[in-house]
Amino acid sequence: MNLLDIRNLSIVMLSGNKKIVAVDRVSLVMKEGELRGLVGESGSGKSLLAQAIIGVLDEKWIVDADRFHWRGNDLMRLSIAERKKIISKDIAMIFQEPMSCLDPTTTIGEQLEEAVDDKQLTGFFWQKKKQRKLAAITLLHKVGIKKHTECTRSYPHQLTEALCQRVMIAMALARRPILLIADEPTAAMESTNQGQIFRLLASLNQLKNMSVLLISHDLENMAHWTKRITVMYSGQFVEAGTTEQIFTTPFHPYTKALVESTSHASLTLEPKSKLSALPGSIPILQHLPIGCRLGPRCPRAQQACVNAPKAKNYHGHIVSCHYSLKDTY
Amino acid sequence: MIPLLNVNKLSKEFKKPGYVFNRKKHTALYPISFNIHAYKTLAIVGESGSGKSTLAKLLVGAEKPTSGEIKLNGQLLQAGNFKQRCQHIRMIFQDSSTTLNPSLTIQQLLDEPLKLNTNLDELERSQLISETLQQVGLLSDHMNFYPHMFSGGQKQRISLARAIILKPQVIILDEALASLDPSLRSQMINLLLDIQEQMGLAFILISHNLGIVKHFSDDIIVLNKGKVIEEGKTLDVLSAPQKKYTKKFIMSQQFQLLSRQ
Repeated sequence: MNLLDIRNLSIVMLSGNKKIVAVDRVSLVMKEGELRGLVGESGSGKSLLAQAIIGVLDEKWIVDADRFHWRGNDLMRLSIAERKKIISKDIAMIFQEPMSCLDPTTTIGEQLEEAVDDKQLTGFFWQKKKQRKLAAITLLHKVGIKKHTECTRSYPHQLTEALCQRVMIAMALARRPILLIADEPTAAMESTNQGQIFRLLASLNQLKNMSVLLISHDLENMAHWTKRITVMYSGQFVEAGTTEQIFTTPFHPYTKALVESTSHASLTLEPKSKLSALPGSIPILQHLPIGCRLGPRCPRAQQACVNAPKAKNYHGHIVSCHYSLKDTY
Repeated sequence: MIPLLNVNKLSKEFKKPGYVFNRKKHTALYPISFNIHAYKTLAIVGESGSGKSTLAKLLVGAEKPTSGEIKLNGQLLQAGNFKQRCQHIRMIFQDSSTTLNPSLTIQQLLDEPLKLNTNLDELERSQLISETLQQVGLLSDHMNFYPHMFSGGQKQRISLARAIILKPQVIILDEALASLDPSLRSQMINLLLDIQEQMGLAFILISHNLGIVKHFSDDIIVLNKGKVIEEGKTLDVLSAPQKKYTKKFIMSQQFQLLSRQ
């Protein structure tokens, strides 16, 4: 059974009397125990999509979907309270810049204890207190922090960025979620620390069978950790498939450009040679092109591209382009 | 052949706060020597705290070195002489949106270095600004725009325009490509390579992305805790690292020299 099944999700904002479609009919299917990557450049709506899934978007955003199923439950039909109940139990999210997400005025220990689920505790209040403390320490052990006493006593500013992100992951694990959404967990981090965090997420995925939705702008890093990747551009769905398919036979011109821009490490590429790059820049939300939003930058764009393309499925490799590169391979 | 930039035993120490009898020193950069030639790129890689930003600050003159000397075209650069230095060595920073003054138009921004360093009159200056903007792939109409009207990639182009407007010989790129999106990063790399070809610049690239370093640079210096771990031709060092630290650093990025088609 699919864990998360989203079909044609749109996120719209009304500014004045104009409708701004920030995310335009995006589909995302996640199976149980899957480690999926969601790749997109800035302004591609990937963070909005994540926030829409856990339902923390502002009132000004209107979320609409043809299908929004969580383990067979249609979330769109439930009331907000019911939805919240399901989501807070099953889904957890970690954000970029862990330092700014943690409360700077309380110690890590207190914050962790606050996150521990009450239902897991039994007995009288003094027994509960003890269990709570113990649960916080086990959580720290789970994310690979061995010196728990030092860690629980310190404030967020006393820890490094990577340790803070580990604490954030520990908090996310407190309710034993089925799906963990990691929104750029390693932005602005050193490469050695980045590796640690990714390794931790991958091991949680394998050992605890927890599904992970990994959101990032960097295709390069994702390739090593994810089995399947979904690519978005400017709020539109571009391509989805296994990492292998995306890297070796990208069907969409945008994916091809992304893959080529990451392959600096290729030996055959002459040093200091020209890289293939898409012209122009990412459109801003106020001036989105009609139809396929890659249109003005796309080398293969033709007249049909003024209408948004429908997603086509070739044996699990889904692409949304009128003139896909499928025939060129 | 005289190298364009010759750095000889440059080092930097910082004094730690403490009492008279308990003064400690922290060496951010141990003596380092290297040469750069025109049309070449030197990459400096290392983790945070390895002294790469300190080295950049010393070269550009923002910090005074504890010992050592920097020679440009065989001529010694004095520590306090900014007029001499900022004409020839310019720097581009990581976050382009915070380095541009939001209350000035692009023309005013680019006018400032010209006013301070050249004797051109107003007409010549605005002509030079419009030429430079075209050189970095913007339009001369962009002169009257404010920084917030540009996207991230375009802002980085403006920083580049500000760097090359004085026709320098060395440009230091301090993580200048890190904050850009991948598709814009390729554009920027192409532009930098173009400009290097046209103007005969030497680049000093400070980066932790080994993919870019491999593509962009001719020579490489690996720093750790202020010490030079390994130096040499980029391809040699990356394909056959000699030191353990370099190997670990390359491993941490899962960086392999792939022979993909």
